[in-house]
Amino acid sequence: METLLNFARGPLFRLCFALMVLGLIRILFLDVWAALKAFRKTDDKRMPWKLIFSRTWEWIFPFKRLKNNFQLYSVISILFHIGLIIVPIFLFAHIQLWKESVGISWISLSYSWAFWLTTGTIIFAVSMFIGRLVIKQTKLLSRKQDYLWLLLLLIPFVTGFVCANLTVSPATYHFFMLVHMLSGELIFVLIPFSKIAHCVLAPLSQVISVLAWKFPPMTDDDICTTLNKKGAKV
Amino acid sequence: MNRVRNTKLILWLISGFAAAIALNRFIFGLGVTTNLNDRTPWGLWIGFDVMGGVALAAGGFVITAIFYIMKREEFHPLVKPAVLTAFLGYVAVVFSLLIDLGLPWNIWHMIIYWNPHSPLFEVGWCVMLYTTVLFLEFSPVPLENFSRYARIRNFLMKYRFVFVLLGIMLSTLHQSSLGSLFLIMPFKLYPLWYTSILPIEFFISAIALGLMMITFESLLSHWIYRRKPETDIIAKLCRAVVWVLLTYFLVKMIDIIVEDKFAMIFNGSWQSFLFITELLISTIIPAILFAVPKFSRNSKVQWTGSIMVIVGVVLNRIDIGGLAMLGATGDSYTPMWTEIFISLGIISVAALVFLFAIEHFNVWDIQPKEPDALPHTLPSFDYSSKTWLGNPDVSSLTTHSLAFVVSFAVGMFLIPGSRLHSKGIENVKVNPASGFDTLFINGNRDDRFVKFPHQAHIAWLKDHNVSLSISYGNNELSINSIDSCQACHHLSLPLEKQSNCWQCHSSMYTKTNFFNHDWHAAKSGANLRCKDCHTPAETRSLRSAKKCTTCHPSYKFAAEVKNGKEKFYALSYTDAMHDLCVSCHAAESKKLKDKPNLARCTTCHKTYPEGSNGLPESLAAGLKWKINPPKFNNVILPEEKLVK
Repeated sequence: METLLNFARGPLFRLCFALMVLGLIRILFLDVWAALKAFRKTDDKRMPWKLIFSRTWEWIFPFKRLKNNFQLYSVISILFHIGLIIVPIFLFAHIQLWKESVGISWISLSYSWAFWLTTGTIIFAVSMFIGRLVIKQTKLLSRKQDYLWLLLLLIPFVTGFVCANLTVSPATYHFFMLVHMLSGELIFVLIPFSKIAHCVLAPLSQVISVLAWKFPPMTDDDICTTLNKKGAKV
Repeated sequence: MNRVRNTKLILWLISGFAAAIALNRFIFGLGVTTNLNDRTPWGLWIGFDVMGGVALAAGGFVITAIFYIMKREEFHPLVKPAVLTAFLGYVAVVFSLLIDLGLPWNIWHMIIYWNPHSPLFEVGWCVMLYTTVLFLEFSPVPLENFSRYARIRNFLMKYRFVFVLLGIMLSTLHQSSLGSLFLIMPFKLYPLWYTSILPIEFFISAIALGLMMITFESLLSHWIYRRKPETDIIAKLCRAVVWVLLTYFLVKMIDIIVEDKFAMIFNGSWQSFLFITELLISTIIPAILFAVPKFSRNSKVQWTGSIMVIVGVVLNRIDIGGLAMLGATGDSYTPMWTEIFISLGIISVAALVFLFAIEHFNVWDIQPKEPDALPHTLPSFDYSSKTWLGNPDVSSLTTHSLAFVVSFAVGMFLIPGSRLHSKGIENVKVNPASGFDTLFINGNRDDRFVKFPHQAHIAWLKDHNVSLSISYGNNELSINSIDSCQACHHLSLPLEKQSNCWQCHSSMYTKTNFFNHDWHAAKSGANLRCKDCHTPAETRSLRSAKKCTTCHPSYKFAAEVKNGKEKFYALSYTDAMHDLCVSCHAAESKKLKDKPNLARCTTCHKTYPEGSNGLPESLAAGLKWKINPPKFNNVILPEEKLVK
């Protein structure tokens, strides 16, 4: 068990963390590259920057959107994101690991903050899962991976909570710790290759969707070819 | 098979792997990524990357000399690629030097702090200047693509001859001065390699290597892009190299015979085998191969011969840079796999830039096309919204970047954990100074003393008004009490007035913590309860503890004070002694006109005749010194035991 734990904490963590960080940098780079190219090709160089900024802002801090339907669901979603981002980054135990291995550290959450944020995140994730199942409109929009992601994100939070707060025997503790680390690492690996990539791509998505409507001149044939409808009239 | 794409894929994979190692080198240091130590500080990176890299880049000055000075117009197609290779080679050398240097951020020191007596100074300046010259020599080629820089390009073209001359001059200087570096190591370098004409040998072999590098680079790049190799021009180079190799061989042999070392070649030691192998590969076999006119026109022989010369001469540089020194130092050094991959990675990045330049600028007369850049092969989609944004320029961009990311991650995975979690630098315990009125300071018992006349110093301090302040880091230590012991014994243990230096500065080369927590908590020690020092409700740490001065009000800390919190670090013994002694000596030597050398190393560190150690005979007989080999700052692995 010790060996496995050390393996998960050492080499495997380095592998997965590197994959996540570089993978995110990679897709961000590819996205910007594609956007720049699309921009260079278009005739119409006007960009509605103001609109893009306000929309992006609205999506990243979606308080304005609370006026819409499912207010409760939206609030829960926002709160869920807060815990999801803050806890793993600012947890004292995580920072301690960084400090011991690399020698860098930053401000940490106090115990009670960490406790309540984790509890909150778990509760919100469960309620979002239920929301997806119960509310008709969201159910229609949900794909399989939307449910799976919520469950997968729950694992490290629950196991981490157990390790930090419950007094259990060392063997149980090690088991929970192993699950905690392995599930966290699985998430790391999946992030750049799944929908969670929106954590870095979100600021770009509005620019991209504006650019996508700016077809370069004489591209109707290309579009048809890509859509497998060669020869169709546009 | 798409040769271009696969070559690039391999290069991206290697460079990703190397990037991970480089990252670890910069975070965790050389101990994690190399097998180097203080006894063998120059390994593969110096031997291959720097020394070999400079030699490999020799093609640039050789071909410009042939084309511009000897006016051999037929070599025109080889000039631009060769100059590009040389430029990239030099940039690679600079990068590998940055990776190899212990304190890479100090590399600019050479520009400001001059030491004109050092060959390394010349090498450094030549590399800096020649890299600049090569940049200026090559930049007209990419500038061709940008019409708005036409004026700059015209200017560069107009004065090209100056750059060419400068380039040849600088290369001649420092290809040879790389050899001069080793002139100061007659006892370290094995005699077969050591000679006073090392600079000349380096220069001649660099010319041969330059010619063969142009050959190899041309053959390889034509193979990758499936073009017909320029066999006829290359055959001329191959014939020329025979004469250079012959000169090299003769110079080397005559020198060895004159210096009476000929018998050493066949003395059966592993160095002699190494020497014979090196000479065969680099000189004898290729010279014989290319001497036959039929062979020199055969492209297979051109491949073989050029690779042999390249491998041979680079082996020569590796031998001189380290391998041939192992006999003298008694060390055993084999490069770690990380070292090998850093070397390969630097070459890969340079090769990728080379391929990029070939595809985008007019390095060749006919620019090759990226074979994947066909429409409708691989459409690119935005990753978040899956929006299509048109055909990509380079469709392999996605594959290659993924390859880089994955191999980087694998590199991180394979970094040896035992080294990452090493305990750092070995803690060499300080031994107290011995003696009476005169102290013999020999902290690590390596039998190299500093004689310290204690009584004389006390008398001096009493007679003179000495005041100075020593600062290190954020701290300041003031010495102004004229006749108090505290002038030097700046901080004493409780109930003591003159604690000895070694009691706090208890480690020879590293900072140590002088606060003894366990003693304070132990029943036999201070017998304090946790809550006597730590605030009860908080986590017990330095943060929640009382300040030392609460209980010890007389303490005046020269300790590292950061954000109002004491950190109980005592400097290493060597640093502490040097700080105290040298600062005072330097200040006094300014005042005293008759003692200008007071602050010099040799004032205190004297060499005594062997065996006597500078000790009075009565004392030497009474003290049985444990004589150890000098201790180095070795990195200890967790599985090894701490040497106490």
